[in-house]
Amino acid sequence: MVRSAAAERTTGARFERPGRHGGTGGIPRGARAERLAPFVLVAPAVLIIVALRLWPLLLGVNFSFTGDGERNGTSVGFDNYAQLLDDPLFRTALRNVGLLVVLLPVAVAIPGLLATFIYLRVPGHRLFRGVYFFPAVLSPVIVGAIFNLMLGFDGPLNAALGAIGLGPIDWLGDPGVAMFTVIGVHVWATFGMALVVFLAGFSTLDAALLDAARMDGASLPRIIWHVIIPGLSRTIQFVFVTTMIGMLTSMFGLLYVMTSGGPEGSTYLPEFYVWIQQGRMNRPALASAASTVLFLIMLVVGILQVSVLRRAGRED
Amino acid sequence: MKQRTLWSVVLATGLAVTGCGSAAPTQSSPGEPRSKIVVWDWKSGEPGVTSYIEKAKADFATKHPDVTVEFVAQPFDQYYTLLGAATQSGKGPDVMLFNGGGQIRDRVDGLLPLDQYVAEDKQRLAGWDAFSKDGTIYAAPVTLQGHPIYYNKSLYQKAGLDPANPPKTWDEFVSDCAAINKAAGAKCFALGNKEGFGIQFFMSGLGPGILTPKEYDDWIAGKRDWTSPHVKEIFSLWKKVNDDGLNNDGANSTALFNDAFALFNTGKSATVIGLMSDVGHWKDFGEFLGADQVGVMTAPVVTSGATSVLPYDGGIGYGVAKSTKDPELAADLVRSLTSTGALTAFYTGAGAITSDTTIDVSQGAPAVAAIVPQIKDGKPALHVALSSTTLDLMGRLSQQLLSGSVSVDEAVRQLAASDKVS
Repeated sequence: MVRSAAAERTTGARFERPGRHGGTGGIPRGARAERLAPFVLVAPAVLIIVALRLWPLLLGVNFSFTGDGERNGTSVGFDNYAQLLDDPLFRTALRNVGLLVVLLPVAVAIPGLLATFIYLRVPGHRLFRGVYFFPAVLSPVIVGAIFNLMLGFDGPLNAALGAIGLGPIDWLGDPGVAMFTVIGVHVWATFGMALVVFLAGFSTLDAALLDAARMDGASLPRIIWHVIIPGLSRTIQFVFVTTMIGMLTSMFGLLYVMTSGGPEGSTYLPEFYVWIQQGRMNRPALASAASTVLFLIMLVVGILQVSVLRRAGRED
Repeated sequence: MKQRTLWSVVLATGLAVTGCGSAAPTQSSPGEPRSKIVVWDWKSGEPGVTSYIEKAKADFATKHPDVTVEFVAQPFDQYYTLLGAATQSGKGPDVMLFNGGGQIRDRVDGLLPLDQYVAEDKQRLAGWDAFSKDGTIYAAPVTLQGHPIYYNKSLYQKAGLDPANPPKTWDEFVSDCAAINKAAGAKCFALGNKEGFGIQFFMSGLGPGILTPKEYDDWIAGKRDWTSPHVKEIFSLWKKVNDDGLNNDGANSTALFNDAFALFNTGKSATVIGLMSDVGHWKDFGEFLGADQVGVMTAPVVTSGATSVLPYDGGIGYGVAKSTKDPELAADLVRSLTSTGALTAFYTGAGAITSDTTIDVSQGAPAVAAIVPQIKDGKPALHVALSSTTLDLMGRLSQQLLSGSVSVDEAVRQLAASDKVS
């Protein structure tokens, strides 16, 4: 079977060659079919992508240049975009995206460090491995509801703080704190997955190097810095990329349940803004403009990530 | 390489051409009469309203036995998002439930004017204003929604005050609160402002005691003078109440629904500005505190010359989509949904104060008996007159006022600017 397919391919190539060089001469039928075949074969996939992805995307972008309410359907040029830039809420949302990027190393370091401890077999490491992964199976709504109770102004966390003499903190009501609280909860809820990836990475780590470092009397921080991090560089890059995607695309549920964008609009993210404008403010065209901006941001982030991953692959 | 350039050119041209803007899909016009009417709401799934829906359906079936009515209960949190998306794509329902005020006024483009169909009901039902825009009616009111000030009678008693005689002026109110705090350790107000709704309740609940009758009427009529000292007083009082410790702690992270109401229910706060229908109303509170212990007071008078009236509007009401195939049929369903029989079932089942003024409530709880007689002289609530954009802004500014990151003057200035645009 394999052989005959290979033979066909060879014959096909042989047929093709005279066709190409034949100039104005008639192309043999087999060669034309051969040439069209790949297009026919990829056509379903391309059509699906064009019809279900690119076309709606273009419609959405097109829609963002039309007006809302009384101006529904009329072209308004870049009005919606100007309005977006003018809206302090949207600027807050973009700033929060920046904050997510800045906090990304922390979100990667936490599972990395915990995985290191598990790998180094701290007492009870088997238990921790299960416990750490557990939140990853909870839906954001459940996590949000749990932390709403925990972090309430008269909730248990503030009660515990009060017991050791620290003043209550309005975790979800203070605009300077709320975004960090939500990001913290998101990291708590999702780091289990990254932890598993790290543990998989550790299994490829050369144990002899670690032993050698230990024999030479290296301290734990030095082992982490000089042996573990270089050895895991590809895993770390991968976790960076997946964590970034997770932060940019799956915070909505938590925001919705925990803060609804508040207090003072301090926990808005672009996707939450899109949802509010479309649903509560009845401004679908403005929401489309915001979606387009979000799409462009994701495009840039995505291209950067692909290039990081590609470079990582090349090092391999 | 060449291919890639070609593709990017194609893509760019596509974007440029379509970017010139085109019309959103518009609704198709009538065809053959349909024998099914689809109703969207967020109510019909609740146990308390089952008998209401059944009564309305039965009433409609006597008039149109061959038409089926399908109720689709959507989650309230996403109701307007779903409705917006469905309408945009031309797949919206024929009849739909709306909150009165901004939510329906923002969407009248797609709604059928109902004036000619509901003329007979105009006297019997109250609360039309919330479903009208520029004098045209777009939905028929089902419940009335307003903001009575509820108080806990047993806390008043504990503090040695007369629970049957609530304070009339703001000074009395504050001193009563101080007495209650001393005697029972309860805060004055239960406030939830996590979603920014607290300010809406505060503005509408206490507003009648702050604005003069003329200012009040002008405000409702759309002539809102944001430079008036009394309008500013609403926001400075909002801040002062919090600064003086009259609110529960952490109001900005307390959800109004239902954490703030829970504070009132458990006796941790003496007063709450609640609702008349749905939730956070006399029936909910009565279940915790005992129906006899729930009192209703009118807004304490802050400004001399202000008269306290019950602030209320049409709460929820049914409207008809412009795109419906048989407007008369759909309007008939709306009339069935607002018939006396159906609304009586709503009142007894869910404890809602309905729009029908002919329903007898004298056998109900003391709080209802206190609210219903005030309907006659009541006025529309202040916040309902504002657009949803301004309300959203007001929610955020109110949180900033509580945390001290914006001044009252600045907040009022921003609100005035937003109100002018919308």
